Amino acid sequence: MAVEQQSGTSSPGRIIMLADCQSFYASVEKAEHPEYRDLPLVVAGDPERRSGIILAACPIAKSFGVTTAERLGDSLAKCPDLVIIKPRMQLYIDVSMLITRIYQSFTDLVEPYSIDEQFLDVTGSLHLYGSPEELARMIQTRIQGELGIYTRFGIAENKILAKTACDNYAKKNASGIYILPKEGLPGTLWTLPVGKMFMVGSRMTRHFNAMGLETIGKLAETPLEKLKLMMRRKFGKNSDINAELYWRIANGIDDSPVRPGTHEVAPQSVGHMMTLPHDYGRLEDIKVVLLELTELVCQRCRGKGYMGHVVSVGCMGADYDRPSGFSRQMKMMDPSNVTNQVYRAAVELLLRHWDGRPVRKVGVSLSQLSTDDEYQLSLFDPHREKTMALERATDAIKRKYGDATIVRAVSITPAGQAQHRSKKIGGHYK
Amino acid sequence: MRKKLEGNGLWESSRMMLPEHKVAINEHEAVLRRRQRVELDEQEWEHVARSVTESLQQRQQIKLRLFHPIEELTVIGIVDRVDQLKGRFMVDGEWFPIGDIEGAVIEE
Repeated sequence: MAVEQQSGTSSPGRIIMLADCQSFYASVEKAEHPEYRDLPLVVAGDPERRSGIILAACPIAKSFGVTTAERLGDSLAKCPDLVIIKPRMQLYIDVSMLITRIYQSFTDLVEPYSIDEQFLDVTGSLHLYGSPEELARMIQTRIQGELGIYTRFGIAENKILAKTACDNYAKKNASGIYILPKEGLPGTLWTLPVGKMFMVGSRMTRHFNAMGLETIGKLAETPLEKLKLMMRRKFGKNSDINAELYWRIANGIDDSPVRPGTHEVAPQSVGHMMTLPHDYGRLEDIKVVLLELTELVCQRCRGKGYMGHVVSVGCMGADYDRPSGFSRQMKMMDPSNVTNQVYRAAVELLLRHWDGRPVRKVGVSLSQLSTDDEYQLSLFDPHREKTMALERATDAIKRKYGDATIVRAVSITPAGQAQHRSKKIGGHYK
Repeated sequence: MRKKLEGNGLWESSRMMLPEHKVAINEHEAVLRRRQRVELDEQEWEHVARSVTESLQQRQQIKLRLFHPIEELTVIGIVDRVDQLKGRFMVDGEWFPIGDIEGAVIEE
């Protein structure tokens, strides 16, 4: 009974938290390098190049006006004493997993939303710890102590309000903890400009402003049917779903569960894309990258036990102002995850659609996936069993010793990117 | 599009996850799901022993729950042999370790 009395003042039902790590990459680096504790520090894409971008800036760097995603050169102009650190993506993933484990020691319902944000449903375990605020403080103190990272908590009855509470209030107040009750929306969230709302970017802000919906409250109070009409006038009749989505977000309506297994869903497609270090103009060179990407895609499919039926290939030109290139797909005779088979189809697409202009970005993906426990015996490829055994062996070597330990011969030509790419995660160094 | 309004759609369609991070999460989840061995007490062992003997001597069909780190494993059939020395029993020509038994029911 004591439990109900404690949480009885806030709205009944679930208690959801969105926990966010402050300047995550920069905080991890500061914990690793205590000597930089009081210095402005950034993690930047490629410190050797002034055009590299800022991936994360610590609060001290931010106080100099340094912002995430700006060019390193611009940041240095604002703060010449900036400590610049190369990203170490694998480390950030490992630390994020450690944080997940800490959350999981308080509730089993934890859903990572990004590398530095995770949802926690503490409805069932709260009675062990006291009030939501006390629990948040407990987790916050533990993560600060064990990992040196400051976390902020938005707390509410559902995920959208928890996220909103974190972004708009917990990140800005002194305690880093904010409870947003649904009944309190008129006095809080609804007074904010519409651009502060989750999922509303600068373009949507302009559109809403033009519709006369300057605040989140105005959007929330517009009847849904009227909002649908207003949006249809601007975006056509397919905008009903988005209208409902924005309307629900503004009103704090969200019944989505906190789902721990959410990342295990079968993928729709498996694809890899790579931006090349310079323009590739020769067919042989593009084919090398195409093979490397196909190998990666097939390797991932094999690892997960999928075969794909449809191959897509995309090439993009270097000149962003005058876009060139193509993105086309074709269906293979049978589903496959054998690199050479998929590569044959990919090359066919390249030969058919490439216009000969230089290419800067190449992507390959496999879709219409099915499981690989059954496959069609092929009359035309008598070596399939042998190839599959070979791929199983190379995949095992790569899993154990890294992707660069065994590569195709073409990958050591100047056009090859496999060795380089194996050192990176998400385009940044591991 | 409609998916955004259903289930966990809003969050699954808007999140940014590195593939390597997803792999790490899924591996961790798989470890969490690993099952622990159930320790049987004396009375439960006695029940298992009686059921296995009954199946062996009277050719009764038995349903045995066995330990498996990931799956729910059930063996249904008639116990053909029990090899105390090697700690194993045979159902329909296949050997299983006696130590893995977590429960037994004689099927009517």
